[in-house]
This record gives sequence, C-alpha cells and structure tokens, in this order.
Amino acid sequence: MEHTVIFTTEDNKTATVTVPTNTMLADAAHIAGIDIGQPCGGQGRCGRCAVQVTDGNVRRRSTLRLSPADVEQGYALACQTVVEGDVSIYVPPQEKIERRLTTDRVVAEVTVPADYDYDLAQSIRRVHLQLTPPTMEDQIDDWSRLQTAFRLQANMQNVNCSLHLLQTMGETLRAGEWQVTAVIERDIDNPDKPIRLIELYPGYVDEYSPLWGCAIDIGTTTVSLWLVDLISGQVKAQVAEYNGQIARGEDVISRIIFAGKNGGGQEMRQRVLDTINDLLETACKRVKAKPEDVMKATVAGNSTMIHLLLGIPAGSIRLSPFITAVNHPPLMTAKDVGINIHHEGTVDCLPGVASYVGADITAGVLSSGLERAENVTLFIDIGTNGETVLGNRDWLVTCACSAGPAFEGAGVMNGMRATQGAIEEVWISNDTLEPTYRVIGGGKPKGICGSGLISLLSEAFLTGVIDKAGNVNLTAGSSRVREGTHGGEYVVAWGAETESGEDIVMSRVDIDNLLRAKAAIYAGFTVLADTVGIPLETTDKVLVGGSFGKYINVEKAVQIGLLPDMDWPRFEFLGNTSVKGAYYALLDWRKRERITEIAKRMTYVELSADNSFYEAFTSALFLPHTDLSKFPSVEAALHKA
Amino acid sequence: MALSGIQIYKLLPQTNCKECGFPTCLAFSMKLAAKQVELSACPYVSEASKKQLAESSAPPVRLITLKANGAEIKAGNEVCMFRHEKTFYNKPGLFIRVKASDPDLAAKVTKADAYKVNYVGMDFTVDGFAVEADGDLTAAVKAIRAVSKRPLILISTDAAALDSALGLLAGEQTLIYAADSSNYEALADTAKKHKAALVVKGDSLDALADLTPKVQAKGVEDMVLDLGGKNLGEWLTRSTQARRLALKSNFKPLGYPTIFFAAQNGVEKEAVYAAQAISKYAGFVILDTFAPEMIYPLLVLRENIYTDPQKPIQVTPGIYEINSPKPESPVLITTNFSITYFSVANEVEGSGLPAWLVVTDAEGMSVLTAWAAGKFDAERIAKAVKGFDVASKVSKKRIVLPGHVAVLSGELEEELSDWEIRVGPREAVDLPAFMKQALN
Amino acid sequence: MPIEIPKDKWPGKIQSVTIGAAAAEGGTRTKSITIGGQTCMPYLHYEAPMPNRPVIAIEIKSRKPDDWSSLLAEVWGDAMNDPAQWAKKAEEAGADLLVLALTLADSPEDAVKAVKAVLGASGLPLVVWGPGQAEKDNELLVPVAEAAKGEKLVLGICEDKNYRTIVATAMANGHLVQARTPMDVNLSKQLNILISDMGMPHDRIIMDPTTGALGYGIEYGYSVMERLRLAALQGDTMTQQPMMVTPGFEAWKTKESKVGEGVPESWGDWKARAINWETLTAIALVESGADIVVLRHPESVKRVSEAIGELISV
Ligand code: SF4
Ligand code: FES
Repeated sequence: MEHTVIFTTEDNKTATVTVPTNTMLADAAHIAGIDIGQPCGGQGRCGRCAVQVTDGNVRRRSTLRLSPADVEQGYALACQTVVEGDVSIYVPPQEKIERRLTTDRVVAEVTVPADYDYDLAQSIRRVHLQLTPPTMEDQIDDWSRLQTAFRLQANMQNVNCSLHLLQTMGETLRAGEWQVTAVIERDIDNPDKPIRLIELYPGYVDEYSPLWGCAIDIGTTTVSLWLVDLISGQVKAQVAEYNGQIARGEDVISRIIFAGKNGGGQEMRQRVLDTINDLLETACKRVKAKPEDVMKATVAGNSTMIHLLLGIPAGSIRLSPFITAVNHPPLMTAKDVGINIHHEGTVDCLPGVASYVGADITAGVLSSGLERAENVTLFIDIGTNGETVLGNRDWLVTCACSAGPAFEGAGVMNGMRATQGAIEEVWISNDTLEPTYRVIGGGKPKGICGSGLISLLSEAFLTGVIDKAGNVNLTAGSSRVREGTHGGEYVVAWGAETESGEDIVMSRVDIDNLLRAKAAIYAGFTVLADTVGIPLETTDKVLVGGSFGKYINVEKAVQIGLLPDMDWPRFEFLGNTSVKGAYYALLDWRKRERITEIAKRMTYVELSADNSFYEAFTSALFLPHTDLSKFPSVEAALHKA
Repeated sequence: MALSGIQIYKLLPQTNCKECGFPTCLAFSMKLAAKQVELSACPYVSEASKKQLAESSAPPVRLITLKANGAEIKAGNEVCMFRHEKTFYNKPGLFIRVKASDPDLAAKVTKADAYKVNYVGMDFTVDGFAVEADGDLTAAVKAIRAVSKRPLILISTDAAALDSALGLLAGEQTLIYAADSSNYEALADTAKKHKAALVVKGDSLDALADLTPKVQAKGVEDMVLDLGGKNLGEWLTRSTQARRLALKSNFKPLGYPTIFFAAQNGVEKEAVYAAQAISKYAGFVILDTFAPEMIYPLLVLRENIYTDPQKPIQVTPGIYEINSPKPESPVLITTNFSITYFSVANEVEGSGLPAWLVVTDAEGMSVLTAWAAGKFDAERIAKAVKGFDVASKVSKKRIVLPGHVAVLSGELEEELSDWEIRVGPREAVDLPAFMKQALN
Repeated sequence: MPIEIPKDKWPGKIQSVTIGAAAAEGGTRTKSITIGGQTCMPYLHYEAPMPNRPVIAIEIKSRKPDDWSSLLAEVWGDAMNDPAQWAKKAEEAGADLLVLALTLADSPEDAVKAVKAVLGASGLPLVVWGPGQAEKDNELLVPVAEAAKGEKLVLGICEDKNYRTIVATAMANGHLVQARTPMDVNLSKQLNILISDMGMPHDRIIMDPTTGALGYGIEYGYSVMERLRLAALQGDTMTQQPMMVTPGFEAWKTKESKVGEGVPESWGDWKARAINWETLTAIALVESGADIVVLRHPESVKRVSEAIGELISV
C-alpha cells in the first residue's frame, strides 16, 4: 500500500512524497530531499534523528533516547520508525532535539538573576551631576565644586579621587559645560566608607547605555571572560581561550616551579595578562566598546592562578604544609594588576579556601546553588584540577585532584577547545567501525573537544575498538585502526575531510591521558564521599561543571566511568560555574559576600593523606571501572553490544 | 563501632569556632574519625556526645604492656582482622625461653640480649625472656637481671616462687604464665599484688571465656590468653575466632592479646609456627631456640606484617648494586618510596643488566609525588650523588633520570656539571629496553 | 554457656581450576590437580570445608641457570643440566606440579623439546613460563601450546601489555593461563576481565598477583592476596580465580638467600637462613590465600608441605 508523507521543516518548507507501507521515515525524508542527520548511522543509539509525527500512523521500533513524554507528543526516531498510513512529519532543528534528548545536558542559558537590582546591589554606579559654573563671586575650586555636587545631588558625602583624575578634571568639567557623568565605586555595606571616583565623562552619558564590567575565570587550561552590562545585568559577550601559561607547563605544579625560577614569575604573570587582555579586546570588539570602558573585573581562579596573576610567589602552595600567600586578596586597581580595563577600575579577586581549593570553587559553589541545597548534592568540576564539592546547606567538603587538561582538549594530539570546527560528538558503527561525527559550526573538523573526546572514548570502548584497559585492538579489522607513532590509534576523520588535510586521530597516548583524567575525577569524588561517610547513591543531585562547549552527553560520560552511574535526570550540566560565580559576584555585592561565607564554611580534604585515593584511582583506570557492578547501565549496554 | 566523619560531626557544636585548630567542625570530626586528634581539643563538646564518642572508640582488645627498666613491649589494642583494613598496631613480642636450671643461663641470656640486627636502617632485637621455673626461679631472675634489662615472662604456677621472684622485679610489668581453672585464685592474688599481667589458659575458647571474668573478679585486669590448639590449623582457628569475637561481637571475656609457644611441636617446626603466629594475631611469641638465622627472618616478617599499609615503608637512601655492577655500568636514579624502589630494582634485576641504583631521600614519596612536593629536585639528586660518592664507583659519569622528571635535567646539569644527564623512561618496565638500546 | 562464634557466610566462591589432563581427558598426565573451590577465608574449617588443598610447584629450567644460588646448584646437582632429570628429581622432592621456565637462549624447537622431555619424564601437571620478554614469550609459547595440545598446561605469563597471543593459543589448544599483575588488587582484576573478555572460561585462568620476598615487599603481596580473596568471597566474579605466587623466585633473589659471605654476622647460618627465607615467604602467602606456591629448594618444599598438611587437617 502507498502512503503520503508530508514533511515540514522549521522554515515552513514542506515536501510531500508517496512511499509504500513500512518505509523508514529517514528513507522517506531522503526521497523528499529533506536532510535528517543520522550521527549514529541509523542505529537508533544517538537519538539525533528525532522528528515529530503531527498526524497519522507510524510504528516505532525503538524509542530509546526519547522520554515517554516526548513519545506522547509524537516524537519518533526517523531511523527506527516506519510509515503505516498517511502521515505528517515535523522536522525540528538540531538544537531543539538536543535539548529534548534524555541523555543530553545542555548548559543553561545565562540569565540575569531575577533579584538583580542595579540600584541596590551594584557597587559601581554612574552618577549624573550638574555643577554650577564658577564665577568671579563663586571662587570654589573644581574639586570642591564636584564634591559639593556629589553631596547635594547624589547624597555622597565622602568621595576620593586619584591624582590622574585631578589632572584631567578641570578639562572634563569645562568640556561638558559643567555637566558630568561620574563613575564611582561604593561600599554598599559600609556607607560611611569613602566613595572612589573612577572616571569622569563630560556631559550626560545616556542613562541606558551600558556600564561595563567583566567576570573572569582563570583556569589552569582555559581562561574565560564575560562582558557584562552592569545596568541591565546582562552578559553581552562570552569569550574563552587557552591560558598562555600552558607553554610553560600543563599543570599547576610545573607552573609554580617555572615561576620560581629567575624571571619566571614575571613571565607567567605576563602570559596570563596577555591572554586576559586579548580576550578583553575580543569581547569589547563584539559589543563595540573599548577595554577602558570596563570599570570592574571580578576574577575567579584557583589559588595558583591568582598568585601568578598578581605576581605573588606561589612556591609555598606546592610545598608542605601547603600554605598560600593570600587566600583573599584585597581590592586592587586595574593599573596595579595589569588588566587593561579602565586603569582606575577595580579588580576584585574572589576568596579561596586553601592551596588547592581556590576562588574558582567557592565561586562555583555559589553559582551552582550547592550552598543552599537541602539534600546532599555533589558538584564535580571536570577541569584540570578536578575539584569536587559535596554537601548541602549545613556542611560542605571539597577536594582537588590532578586530572590534567584532557577534557579541555589540551594535552591530546588532536584536541581543541569547544569552538568552531571542533568535533563535539562521535558515533561509531558497531558493524563497520566507521564513525560519524558532528562538528561545532558544521564546517570541516579541526580537532576534537572535550565532549567529543568523551563520546569518542565511549564509542571506541563499546564497539571494541579499544579494550577495557584502553589498548587499541589492532586486529579489529578496520583501516581506521592502525599502528601510529605512539602505539595504536583510531582515525576519526581522514585528511580529506579535515580542515588541515591531516588525519584526526585518537592515539594510545590520548587514551591514556583521558583515562587518567577520568579516573582522577572519579576517584576524587568517590574518596571524598567515603571520607565523610556518605554513600554516593544517596546524593540527590550531581551538578557538573566544566568547559565543554554547550553540552555534555551524560550517558557517554557515565559509559567511560567519568560520572557515577545514576539516573540521568539527577545530572545537571552547569558549564563554567566559576566564571558564572564571578559574574554573580560582579553584579551583586550580597552575592560577593556570600562567596566569602562559603569560603569560611568549606572543609578541605587532602586526598593524598593516605592510600585510598591511589586505590580508587587505579580501580577507576579502566573502562568503565574495574568494578563493573558500580556501572549497571554500562554492563547492560555491553551485554547488548 | 567506629563513627564516620559525618556521624561525629552531628555530635559536635557545628559552630566552626576554630578553637580546636581546624577551620571547621567537619574538618575536626574527620580527623577524629581517622583517630588523628583527641576529642579534648574541642572545648565545646557536650557530655552526652562525649559519652557516645568514647564508647565508639574503646579498644576491643585490651592493651597489655610488659616493661622492665630498659625496655617495654606492648600487645593488644588491635582493631582489625586484616592489616589492610587499617593496620596492625602492636608487634608481637619475641621472647626467648630459658630454663632456671640451665647452668649456662647467664651466658645464653647475655648472648640473646646482645643480639641486634639491622633491617633497612632499623635495629631489631629480641624483646625479652621467658623463664621456665624448673629450678630456683628467684635465683634465675636475679641472674638474668644482672645481664639483661628486657621484660620477663615467668613460667610457673607456684605462687610462692612467683611471689619471691616478682619481689625482685618491683617497678616492672611482668607476665605470669599461666593460670587455669585449678589455680587461678592463687595466681591472680600474686599477679594483683605485684601488678603483673597474667596468662589465662584453657583448652577451649569456652573455658577461657569462663575463666577470664573470674580472674577479673579477683582484681586482675591485665590478662593474656593461651589458646591451646594442637597444631597450626587448630591454633589458627582459635586465634581467628578469639579476635573476631573481640572485634565483631565486642565480646569482652576474650578481648585480650594471646601468647603462643612456637616450639610446642618440635624445634624443627618452630620457625613456621612462629611465622603463622606473627601473621595471625599473636601478642607474644615464645621461642625455644635462639638462632640468628631464624630470629632475623622472623623479625623481618613481623616488621613487614606490622607495617602500616596506609604509609608504605621507605627504603634507606643509598647506592644499591644490582646484578653486580662494574665501573662502566649505568647509574640510575630513583626515590626511596618502597614501591618505586622495588619496581625499579625488580625490573632491572629481572633483565640481568648490571646497574647502580641511587636511591635519594624523597621522604618516602614516589617520583611524581616527590617532585610535586619539592622532595625530588636537582639539588637533592645532586646531594645524593655527591653524598654517596657515586663518582668513586664508576668510570662513566652518566646518570639516568626518571622520565617523569625530565624537566630537571637542565638544572641537574648545572648542579652536576661533570656528569652526563640522560632522561630515562617514565615507567620502570621500560628500563631494561632503554638500558639496552639507549645506553650503549 | 558456649560462646556463639561469629561466622562469615559469603556469597562468593573461588573458581575450581583443574590443571593437567590424564589420558582419558586427552592428555598424558598421571594425575591432574584441582585447586580453588573455597567458600571462606583460608583454613577456617569451622565456617566451610576446604575442598582443595593448596599445592606446591617446583620450578625447573630448560637450561642450567647461571644466576641461581650455589645452595640450589648443590642440592639439584647435575640434574640441572637436563630438564627431564630435573623434573624427576623435583617430583621425588614432593612437588605436586612442575613449573618449567624457558630461557631467552631457547629457540622454539628447543622449547618444544624441553617441554616434551619434561612431560615424558614426569606425570605431574605442568606450568610453562616464557622467558619473560613479550615477543620471545609469544614466539616460544605458541609452538609449545600446539605441541602439547590437550595436556591442560598452564601457560605463563600473561601481563596486561601482553596477553592476547598467549590467551588465544591457550584457548585453541585446551590449556590454561597464568595472569600476572604487579601487586595491585585492581590490576589483577582488570587483567582477569581482559582475559575473560577474549572468551577464556574462568576455570582456565589462574591469577598471579605477584609477591615480594620476605623483607622485600611481602606485605604488599600478602595484603593484595587477602583483599582479592575477600573480594572474591563477597561475590566479585572477576577476583574468584585461584592464586599462584612465586615465593621461591622472589626469596632466592634476595641477598639474604643468595649470598653466604660478606653479610652481617647477625644473619646467622647461610643455608638455614636461605631456607627459612623461602619457607617463611611461602608460609605467609599460604596463610593469605595462595593456592599454588612455586618453590625452589626441596627442604622448603618439605616444610611448607607439612605446614599445609597441618592447616588443612583439623
Ligand atoms: S573547637 Fe569544637 S566547636 Fe570549635 S570548630 Fe573545633 S570542633 Fe567546632
Ligand atoms: S538514532 Fe537515528 S540516527 Fe541515531
């Protein structure tokens, strides 16, 4: 029997075909000239080919990856669903599908906190002042005149200013014909404290034009910067780049050692400043602003990064008894720190707890909401230092372990950050061992990012390309598997498909790095939970932070044993929690205070105190884990495969 | 039952006042759970919590200390069945049995008392003597005390003889062997009078469990059990059962350390019997034979079994010879973490290739950990190479650095300017191949 | 009132493994040996009977070793020059099975010849070790496995970096494998998983968790074995293989055993010490759960065997 199938796409294009009963929807679409991507090669595993049946009868062979609610709404996998009558099909755009899949955790859009109120919460303010021009009778000096205006028009009693501003003040006042816009910083908690004048602009600056601030996270591997309009609270640009210090060592220890050498500290400082200033420049360009328009920078980062940024010797962080020079640096001006925002702008480095628990974590705890959670919650930051926090509103424990930069795409031969050109997802066919992949931005691939590596490792494992110890199976019977310069490797993309013309591969060394990274992170949170005596299964939620583009596939992360095997709905992906925490702190002085509180409440657990971390690490150094019973869902998947 | 960190936390004030020296109450409770601090460090614990915490931490096996003026040895206070669960705390004392009637008594004791053997930098000795009262016990004790200051076990059931001998041992803590159901009253009185510990003997655990409360009722708290048992298998069963009853069932009547006579079935079996006793929970082991070729391996076994598995042992820093190296053989560098040392030494040894292995003092850390902690840097390596005078042993001044610390090679070249620095493989397994290919 | 003895009731059971095949089973051995099958920690007969006793293997080599202690050369004498002779003497010395270690000097033909000679000279079940270098092991063990098809040899030594070839040939020719990992519970388990993933049945894998000698890290081997055994009894199927360790090899490597001169006087008589060293290393491992101990000196064999006898007969 023949049936009519009508496809509608997002842009309201329709196409109609007539096909016999039992035709696969994917095939019907193909005939209709509609492109439905099939990343897993139509195996019903990836869920990426989901479409919505708006009318008519189909038969679904498999609905894996779709929630019952989705099926209820008519969703079906095009590669697993056959036509049984006349039907109408809606083909949704890819992004929409991603958000629906039960396995995917897409990072939440950044929204301005609902309680943000520029007038009450923001310490940086723009003030319009109308001064009375001086006359022969009114001989008051410019500065006093300005102070009077502050007092009378803005109710600001005690305003300080720098020499630099004094030098230009007269000119600014006159250029604006005694109308000025001042940018000041106040201490909301202590209204008696002097108010600091940062900049004076001649005339009135439009009240609704942006007042810029930025939130910065200095990661060991990746530096992120958000440019924020302090008036609306909105994030207007988000940029990130590898930390320029990588050239001098991938981990904090190597950096500390390098910084300890003659001139090394200065070089490290300059390298990270260069990265930050480049990012600032890029971000400002995007919104057509200038770096010097940015009035404040709130900085999060691990303790080593903060020390290196400030040019403070970091040697004692590494050596027993592991003491930092400073956990909570005072407010500083940008010109002292060397960040190219307004030279009188404020640099606020958030407080950390200890050598290995820095402001990146305290900020992350704030932005993740962990400190207010009623039930025990686990927060895992999948980054170079593998920080983990466990707790709730009553108590918080934390640890750090050296995971390395693999999940940020560094230290892996074809790794890259999650930007344009990165392979972010890979599927390998069970039968042919041929991969299909998805590239961020859709062009030719340049490399593989963190989420791509997770999915690649998981697929290679499930399809037997590698064994559970990560050995590449050279007898697997595919030209994709070969002996490379560093042992066995798997070719994800042949040179002909890639941007550089070179093959993109995952080598034995990469696999080892990934295994070590995931094992360290897994061991970190399991030992942490053990130390306080909380069974992991009893944690209510698992919050995942990390610099993975915009999403992480929880199923794949569980399959490689990076995340604990729990029901998918218990996971939330938060993206870069550290920069987000810095953003909250930048906006709202009360949140800034809360970070200080969090820092006081956190209890740091030293993992290297005994053998248990090493034990947990070696047992996690396997796919998915030496103890398969900890990963029942993976065990089931293996049985199927 | 031991409480977890969170359980203890719930018993604390939760004010994070920091007076205990820790940043938070939780940090303090985790240290407490790991038995690394005393509860008294927190001035604000409530009485109820104190009580609860004390109960959870009472040792299930009583601590017995034998003491003389020169030395002491402890037994008991153990908390686990298997050493990996925590650690075995108090090494069983090795006592040499001597006879009061022996005309060579003083000479024998003198010799055994002077015995000292060095194992990885530690000096081991025997712990004391068990005196068999087959002659004049008091005279024997007097003779021994003239030549040895080690703790004693007196083997006699004659209360009067014991009383007289113990009179010579005032201020010491001695062990009396042994009370059974027929004589415990008299012996308990003697033990009590002299504050001595008393071995209680029975031919079954039931009999022992019956007897210890009676002895306790007579005012003796410090007891040691002789479990009996006809051979290795039976003793193992009893020793396991007694320990398990104490630990798992908190069964107080058997919550005491044990004593074991290694030569009970013949001196030819003595070493094997003593070995089992050492690994399987004995508190005191009595040897009939004083033979260095047996004592030395037993002392080493005891050290090994009682090493804290959480803190692996360190190897003495120094220069180690592997496969009889010659002056032209390569010089390898590693740290004194025992697993690191053993894996390097084993690989090289297995390959048959001769080498000098320089073990540096990295405070017992592995190469990477030590490097990260600043305990394995160019300066320390150079110090070791110079300190052990490696140059005088070799003709080729070339050292091989572990691959994990390749970054140190530049600095090391500065520190050891007349040496050639080579970077070896990261893992010990790759050493033989490296030595064959790269070092020729 | 009699005390109630706490007993552990474990869900797991150690895998029974049979080594060596008699004519009826397709081999030529006069007896086969079964190990494993335990359902409780070692020798706790009050909890469960011990179905099989631990056994002792004696290690011999295809060629006279030049790095063995002279005490061993003294006791084995000329037999060391001829694996068949050596095998006979080892059987007389009380071995339950034999380990034949091949050497780097052996060609595949030499290896096959030596194995055949030993199989001809003694009816005991046999373990064959390659010389310990991945490529050479594979080169020698494959022809050996084929030549002795059906004998149910144990082929060693599989390690995580080199297991595929040995496992494949053992599977094809009806042999068993010895899976060695360096004193780590997780690594033992991982190698068992990798080998089982190739399709090797569990009753043909023996794990060798490795040990150090007395004074040279025995505590690691000791605890790793206890932990593996506990995990197995708790029901972890990937740790339920019987365990084989080599105290002879380890002990005779130590200075304490190897050398008679230039050592501290406090070490005592050389020969007695050397034998104590091997015996005590072995006893500690027998206590911690070894199912096969591989020894070198007949006197140690005698003493360990007696001890095992006492431990199993309660
Ligand atoms: S002294 Fe007591 S109340 Fe104060 S922080 Fe320490 S544990 Fe908490
Ligand atoms: S599920 Fe249909 S293509 Fe992957």
